[in-house]
Amino acid sequence: MKYLLIYLLSALLLHASGENHQVKIIEKIISEISIDKKIVIWSDNKKILSILENNSMFETTQRCNSATVIVLESKDTLPRKCSSKHIFVLNYKLLSEIPRSFGALFWKKGRPNIVILEPRVESQNIKITKDLEPYLEERVW
Amino acid sequence: MVKKRELFLFISLFFLGLFFLYLYDYIKQAQDDIFTSIESNKMKNISYLFKNIEENLVTKNRVKDSDTLVKLLSDTKSRQAYEEHLSLLLTPSIKYIYLLSKDKKGRYRFLLDASKTDKANFYQKFDVKEKEYQELYRTKSPQVIRQNNIENLFLTYLYPVKVDGEVIAILSVDITTKIKNVVLELIKPIETFFVVLIIFIFLLMIMSIMQIFHYFITRKKIFTDLLTQLYNRNYLHEITPMLKLERYSVAMLDLDRFKVINDTYGHKTGDFILSQSAKIFKDSIRDSDILIRYGGEEFLLFIYDRGDGDSALRVCERIRENIGAHLYSYDNHDIRMQVSIGVHEHPSLEKNITQAIKIADKMLYIAKSKGRNRVVVYDEKSKSTKYIEEKDIDFVKEALQEERVTCHYQPIYDHNSKKILKYEALVRIIDNNEKIISPAYFLPGLKHTNIHYKLTQRILSIVFEKFKENSSHVSININFSDLINIDIENTIVKELQNNKNLASRVTFEILESDEIENIELFKEKIELIHSLGSKVSIDDFGSGYSNFRTIIDIEANFLKIDGSLIKNIDKNEKDFKVVKSIVLFAKEANLKTIAEFVHSKEVYDKLQQLDLDYMQGYYIAQPLEVLEVEKNLFQDAFSQ
Repeated sequence: MKYLLIYLLSALLLHASGENHQVKIIEKIISEISIDKKIVIWSDNKKILSILENNSMFETTQRCNSATVIVLESKDTLPRKCSSKHIFVLNYKLLSEIPRSFGALFWKKGRPNIVILEPRVESQNIKITKDLEPYLEERVW
Repeated sequence: MVKKRELFLFISLFFLGLFFLYLYDYIKQAQDDIFTSIESNKMKNISYLFKNIEENLVTKNRVKDSDTLVKLLSDTKSRQAYEEHLSLLLTPSIKYIYLLSKDKKGRYRFLLDASKTDKANFYQKFDVKEKEYQELYRTKSPQVIRQNNIENLFLTYLYPVKVDGEVIAILSVDITTKIKNVVLELIKPIETFFVVLIIFIFLLMIMSIMQIFHYFITRKKIFTDLLTQLYNRNYLHEITPMLKLERYSVAMLDLDRFKVINDTYGHKTGDFILSQSAKIFKDSIRDSDILIRYGGEEFLLFIYDRGDGDSALRVCERIRENIGAHLYSYDNHDIRMQVSIGVHEHPSLEKNITQAIKIADKMLYIAKSKGRNRVVVYDEKSKSTKYIEEKDIDFVKEALQEERVTCHYQPIYDHNSKKILKYEALVRIIDNNEKIISPAYFLPGLKHTNIHYKLTQRILSIVFEKFKENSSHVSININFSDLINIDIENTIVKELQNNKNLASRVTFEILESDEIENIELFKEKIELIHSLGSKVSIDDFGSGYSNFRTIIDIEANFLKIDGSLIKNIDKNEKDFKVVKSIVLFAKEANLKTIAEFVHSKEVYDKLQQLDLDYMQGYYIAQPLEVLEVEKNLFQDAFSQ
């Protein structure tokens, strides 16, 4: 929790400085979850994918098919064959539009916000650490 | 002694820099004051509006707690109505207005969001971590959050919506940096101006520091003698205006027979001796004393009067003893050195520092002539020294410029043939009062100076010119340093080489001097005189150190016996014996003898008993501007 807060705070401070910090938060959030398979990340945002590929502890893939976790920026870029994977979105609205999405990182009024949907996490057998609990939501408002 | 100009510039720049830094800080503070003023003004307006909204929302709807508020605003219509109402407050500087409520888990949720952009959903969670949110619930009073890095937000104002004194929600407004930017834009040129000015002053300060640093570096180079690492004469010029002579004694130091060291062991050894001696000098004095390499092997020392009994004489004696006790070992040679020192203990009594140094130099000369390795202190009460000092270099310089230098001629008499053999040319200066000044009053002060050489040249010109016109013989006094001066040599050679008749009538009377250390060079110069057809006489023989071997070697023609042996010869038997011996020696060496200082009949008669060749003195004839003839001799002898 402490680390996530530090990340959030630093992201807040350095929001204007680019996607690196956003990726750091994403990486931190994903590191706080566990699924029954090895985490392999794919993203429709090539920059994020590239940063994760070069600096992350997670494995990444260029093919959505091979991924186990998807970081999604836009609904339109989600391949149908991947719609059943664990999806983490970068827009609050996408949580409503993509039923498989289990959480989101987005900017609201200049502040970074994290939402983890509890029912979806449970239904997808995703286990989360205590650090993520403050961000759990019952539903999408 | 930093140059005052640079120091003043540096201090001025420093204070100017401080002043502008203060101004810059003042502007920054003024800027903060402006922001605070804008902030409080804005907050005041918003507070007033929020109070109305709070009243409308809570009182009209009889809201009792946050749950009833959530329930009320969960209705889309009433929510829209309030959001529309709130949106009226949006301006270019007010970006977001929203109502937050804390849920049971302590998370903040949007109840209303009147923002046009980035609008939140009803009851959507809002992650805020600033302590001011907690503070608002605790203090139940508005809070302001200064935003530094959130998009383009300047500050966030939090207003507590209260029921019965309890906070049930927060009305929040995010104000953009627009106003701040406007203020900053307005202030920026002034701020930039001051920043540039401060940088400029800072650079100037660095430049002046560099200049001062450079000054010290070059100053050290300019004022330091490379070999000895002592101050040089440039330093003397630098300190002269500031030096308080009443606090110092002046000493002139000269290493004895240094030329011999140079000639015998070479210049490298000479340099080694100089640097070692400088070190010994420094070790023998204190930091408050000033030691200067005055030139060659000469050193000038200003001894600070410490008032502790360590007198200038004691300091100089210490230096002399330390130099004498030191064994200089260089290139397998062990060398002992000595130093002669001339001291003027009260230089402030002189009209200037140059005069004081000149007197110390004279004392040094006396120390040398008394046998070296000694300290001679100037006695201000000594009249003779004073007298000599009165007619100094400037006196002679002016006389040369104004052509007031002349010669008087004293006959040298052949008492056997009753004929005048020749005339000795004796220099005189006619002073501004038409008074004839004898050389005793100005020659001692000229020693080794350029003026001395110029004076000798002038005498030669006068004498050559006069004797070209007649057939008489003449003696000219010249010392060794004159003889080795190239200009004087050129004058002699130029005049006599092409005038054999004149050359054959000229005798050069070489003064017996302790400077004739380089015998070979001395012989070489005498040979030159002989080669021109002129004669050589040894002057003042018997007064000093004469080396009989050298006298014979140089094949001199005449030997002039020193006046100190002649003047009392009629009363002093010892002098008579000495003169008799000299005459015998001269006969053996085939030298003609001349007795000078024949001032009385008694002396003249006594000298007749000896086999002397010639006589000269006031008894026979005094020096005159014209050439005296035989018939006028013995007429006014010693009448003056």
